[in-house]
Amino acid sequence: MTLLASLDWHFIREHIPEFARALKRTLEVAGIGIAGASAIGVVLGAVRAHRIPVLSQLAAVYVEVIRNTPILVQIFLLAYGLPQLPGHHIILQPFTVGWLSVTIWGGAFNTENFRAGFEAVPGRFREAGRALGFGRLGTFLNVTLPIGGRIALPSSINTYISVLKNTSLLTAVGYAELTNTGYSLESVTFKAPEIFFVLGATYLVVVWTLSILIRLLESRLALPEAR
Amino acid sequence: MPLPVGTLPSWVGPVAHYMAHDGVPETLRIAAFAVTGSMIVGIVLGTLLTIRFLPLRSLIRLYIEIWRGLPIVITIFIVFYALPSAPLIHHRFSPFTGAALGLVLWGSAQVAEATRGAVQSIPREQHEAASALGFGWVGRHGSVILPQALRRLLPPLVGLLVNVLQNTTIASIIGVTELLATGQRSTERLAYSSGDSHALAIYGALMGAFFAISFPLTRLAIFLERRLV
Amino acid sequence: MRRIAVVTLVVALAAGALAGWGSAAHRGGASPTAGAVAPKPKPKVTKPKLPPLPSAIRRRKKFEIGVKCDFPPFGFIDVRGNNDGYDVQTARRFAQLAFGSKKKVDLVCVTTPSRIPTLTSSRVDIIISTLTWTSARADVIDFSIPYYSATGRLLVPNSSSIHNVSDLGGKTIVTTRGALYATWTRNCFKSSKLLEVDSPSAAVLAVKNGQADTFMFDDAFLLGVATQDPTLKLTRDKFLNIPWGIGIRKGDTATARWVNAAIRYMKKRDEFVKILRSNAPARLVGDFLDNVPRPKSNFQYPVGKDPVSDCSSR
Repeated sequence: MTLLASLDWHFIREHIPEFARALKRTLEVAGIGIAGASAIGVVLGAVRAHRIPVLSQLAAVYVEVIRNTPILVQIFLLAYGLPQLPGHHIILQPFTVGWLSVTIWGGAFNTENFRAGFEAVPGRFREAGRALGFGRLGTFLNVTLPIGGRIALPSSINTYISVLKNTSLLTAVGYAELTNTGYSLESVTFKAPEIFFVLGATYLVVVWTLSILIRLLESRLALPEAR
Repeated sequence: MPLPVGTLPSWVGPVAHYMAHDGVPETLRIAAFAVTGSMIVGIVLGTLLTIRFLPLRSLIRLYIEIWRGLPIVITIFIVFYALPSAPLIHHRFSPFTGAALGLVLWGSAQVAEATRGAVQSIPREQHEAASALGFGWVGRHGSVILPQALRRLLPPLVGLLVNVLQNTTIASIIGVTELLATGQRSTERLAYSSGDSHALAIYGALMGAFFAISFPLTRLAIFLERRLV
Repeated sequence: MRRIAVVTLVVALAAGALAGWGSAAHRGGASPTAGAVAPKPKPKVTKPKLPPLPSAIRRRKKFEIGVKCDFPPFGFIDVRGNNDGYDVQTARRFAQLAFGSKKKVDLVCVTTPSRIPTLTSSRVDIIISTLTWTSARADVIDFSIPYYSATGRLLVPNSSSIHNVSDLGGKTIVTTRGALYATWTRNCFKSSKLLEVDSPSAAVLAVKNGQADTFMFDDAFLLGVATQDPTLKLTRDKFLNIPWGIGIRKGDTATARWVNAAIRYMKKRDEFVKILRSNAPARLVGDFLDNVPRPKSNFQYPVGKDPVSDCSSR
């Protein structure tokens, strides 16, 4: 408790609006990243699970490259490498680099999550779907996706939480999310304990809340056998 | 336009030499420190987590949830920038030590969780058999439970190595001159002296280097998982 | 058989990790070598009469100095991977004055946010890292007497509508994290948007890519950029002319005494001009002769006033 008492609370109160704005930007980028990662995960996970030729191999390459390289290097590649693409000179704003990099990163991990989920759907369910007259796509949409998606829920939750945490690395490309704002403030005021206490507490509250909320959701959505 | 291998552009040699000579050893140093520290602290905490003593379990659980919940860059900032001013702890760390300790805090939380899982996956019969043979708690864990649990820990430990190696890049943010930082310095030097930073090539090469190390290790982890469990 | 293989693998990994850790601790800690060793016999060259070196540095027989590695022409990495620049050459001259050789110094890369913690953690003895005097920094560390004096300038694209600081309202200003220009912008340009990046190079890119309207920074770096890039130019105004100092731990009077004496020694013999000439393109040297300490110059820190809060120069 003495640790808390020694902080300059006046300073903290003074800067709450600034931190709140920065948190909003963190959540915006994380939100887009989570949505994008879900979409990529479902589509490419299905491609991989159904072993669609060519696309499945390409997806595998995407997944392995992203999962086996540091996300910070991926961010730099988007921010500083793309402008040098011969002929195309793609220049992205920090916000764009932000949501794009976390979406690409999250999508790769999520592809594996959903692939495992879809492959874990018992064969008899899919056969039942076919017996009911669904085609391949119909079976997927009405049987594999709902059931496999729920199986994949725990691992995809972890990926989404990691996406949120990884937005902190966007400091490196100047996007004014929470970590960047705190870091810049510390560089001029030197009030590191106050600033990083606020940052740490904020991230923990958001991450833990998300964690609990989604586990509640998970228990409600769990398959009857799993309950 | 096809280039024979022998005629790489002139900027490549010095950059490659600088990155390999200065960046790679620093990355490996951070990784070695972080992996060792994470293993030692994590295995101890993870084993303690299996003891049925609520206060201890809660404390360790809090430790794990904090260091797994915080982004690693924030943990490193806390260790390097904030800790020196905290009462009691007044110690200041160099950037290298600050980054490495931050990685240990995160890594040990991961290992603790994995160790708990590994220890608890050892069937009750092993505990009972060991007790029947006259082992006490320490002997039981030291001679029977932990050796089996450690074997089950091998795949996650290899996974930890991969993650630590990739996360050493975060140390560049507080000024440690590891591999990513040497790449950044090279792009800056090239941009200032010749107008062309060659960022695409340099960061692309970094992706390749990390992939070349991580991919085989990931495959090893999967292989170990299949063979040992 | 399999158990033996597993155990061997684990032991090998642990041994490798411990070896790496051992060498890491050795490099990362930088503790002075134990035991006092008799000082080297002085070389025949007339040594300058400087105060005694602090004992830790004397025992270690070399300096540990923090320098920039991303800020030409003061601290950067050259094509051979070696440190070079005005700050770096000053550091090497210190090593020569103290130990007779320019090699007796370990140069540690620092960034603007990390340089002060790197100094206060004793990882380095002093920092020669483009450190402008501000009262906030002077609260945390001690400054040597000035060794350079920079002026703020604005870098803009040729087609920019910004002609001087009064045009900055509503525009996006980019600068490096923790630079005094960041504080000045926050204090005096509240209608402008501030973008902070981690290296001067990234800031130049931000201007070229249109993410920022102008890069507010020190003249020495900006002039080098503008000379080399025909699409960029500097506006005419100059502002925030504040000297740079060498960062010293608070209360470390032994080091401060030595450093100040060394700077005075170099200043008297006009050595800073020599260092400037070897780091600035010949045609630009004339622009910077007033920035370096010369025998007759007298740079002062604006103690008592805080220029970054002074908005009257807008």
